[in-house]
Amino acid sequence: MSAAETFSRATGHRLDLALIRKRSRSVLAHGFVLALVAIMLLPLFYMVMMSFKTATEISQNPLGLPQSLYWGNYMEALSSMGYVRSVLNSLFITVSVILVVVFAGAMAAYPLARIKNRASKLIVMVMALGLATPNFVTITPIYVIFRDLGLLDSYLGIVLAFAALKLPLAVFFYTGFIAAIPMDLEEAARLDNCSSWQVFWYVIRPLLAPVTATLSLFVMIMVWNDFIYPLLLLTDKDKLTVMIAVYKFVGNTGIEPTKLFPAAVLGSLPLLLMFAIFQRKIMAGATAGAVK
Amino acid sequence: MKTRNSLYIFTIPALAVLGLFFVHPVILTFDMSLTSFKGIGEAKPVGWKNYERIFTRDRYMDEIWLTLWYTVIVVTALNITGLFFAAMLHRLPLIRNFARAALYTPAMMSFVVVGYVWQFLYSPINGGINVALRDLGLGFLEQNWLGDPALALYSVAFTQIWMFTGFTCAIFLAGFAGIPEEIGEAGRLEGASSWQRFRYLELPLLGPSITVSVILTTIGTLKTFELPFILTKGGPDGATRLLSIEIIDNLFGQYKFGFASALSIVMLIIVLFVAFIQNKILRDREAVE
Repeated sequence: MSAAETFSRATGHRLDLALIRKRSRSVLAHGFVLALVAIMLLPLFYMVMMSFKTATEISQNPLGLPQSLYWGNYMEALSSMGYVRSVLNSLFITVSVILVVVFAGAMAAYPLARIKNRASKLIVMVMALGLATPNFVTITPIYVIFRDLGLLDSYLGIVLAFAALKLPLAVFFYTGFIAAIPMDLEEAARLDNCSSWQVFWYVIRPLLAPVTATLSLFVMIMVWNDFIYPLLLLTDKDKLTVMIAVYKFVGNTGIEPTKLFPAAVLGSLPLLLMFAIFQRKIMAGATAGAVK
Repeated sequence: MKTRNSLYIFTIPALAVLGLFFVHPVILTFDMSLTSFKGIGEAKPVGWKNYERIFTRDRYMDEIWLTLWYTVIVVTALNITGLFFAAMLHRLPLIRNFARAALYTPAMMSFVVVGYVWQFLYSPINGGINVALRDLGLGFLEQNWLGDPALALYSVAFTQIWMFTGFTCAIFLAGFAGIPEEIGEAGRLEGASSWQRFRYLELPLLGPSITVSVILTTIGTLKTFELPFILTKGGPDGATRLLSIEIIDNLFGQYKFGFASALSIVMLIIVLFVAFIQNKILRDREAVE
């Protein structure tokens, strides 16, 4: 008599060994994957923990949890990093780039989605080139052009430079989406004597809202985190973006952990909050853009 | 038909921005690459001399190979780890969305932040990794992760893999989501194990996702600049001096705009060439399967 049979006789419960094996295997699998994910997140956890330690605590106990939440590092970083100012700069630049990219991108995508001929193929090819080109390939001439036009250290300059970098992505997002909009909608509007512009503005544009949301979040991540363009094109202390502020604050005098970790947390916080709120949209975009 | 072509007016704003800040600069870069421009003064034409220099000096050829080798390591690892997590999470719907978002978090961070945090983790004295190894009784594994020329490139690569595993995982999960339920169901009824279902049913159907993921990670990795720039500045002893680092150093360290431009053009051609070849091979393979 097997153990399972003894058990079911004694208790009156049927014991399904296969089910138990399956269940426990599933618990094991969940635990295993969650543990791996936790290990992947350790560096971020470490970053937050370190930001709350005093200098002595860090040298005596580099890995342990902080004994108390010490906010002094944050105070120091906030006051000497120009945090608020640089966040506002980043925000202003990011929002401006999004406006240009969304507007010009959607407009350009409309004809490209509707007309298939040599001209539109050529434009799409230039866009594809733009997507593949590393941004330091064009940084030298942009630097020279900006210098000659007096655009160095100007918001206008950096916004347009970023827009050129991200427009191809916008056009690809929008072209795919517009191509899926039925022509009937447009034709109905045309019968009502709408001009092309009115068709675009009143029929097409409102339908683009979901792609626009995803695209905006994408552009936001890339512009917020970018490092080369603002480093080279903005030198005015009052126009620095957050990442440059972090870079300069942390890197000037060798790395001091009491400066590094609060700055790292502060620099990432705005985006991570956005991510927490719009997680679904971002994940949808991460794949929609890619799998097309 | 006439109204149709008039639609092209709509492309003008985008083309103006792209023309001014992308097409025009690329042409200028090529122009500059044929000169000895130093940022100021006159640009003296030197013909193909800059290119000749790149292809005849071991130093630059070595950097090109280093860049390609780095890309091979990172792309291979990223796609394996991403595929691994995606395959696991595909089978665990309960934690799928949570884990996917958690894994993606590092990719949301800036290279600057990630670079500095990992520089500290790797630091030989009180760095998190060495301390953790010591605490675990594995002190003999302690290394000077970024200071040892034999290790530095792999340490930088590891950071990049850590950062973007969530990205490839998300792409593959979308691929898994596109596989019809019935196929997995049929496999299960036939008694196929989890591994067999993955190997013989899912993997072949993931072809398009693999193509996309490999191409995107390859382009992204070939362009890598920020991580080695912050973690190692190209050192120690040139062990992490990728082509991108060489370009920026020539540009803003030595003001050799002409030579840096030639390096940039070589870089651009490599990126386009690799993307083109990959696209061709991967799509052909998809068609066969």
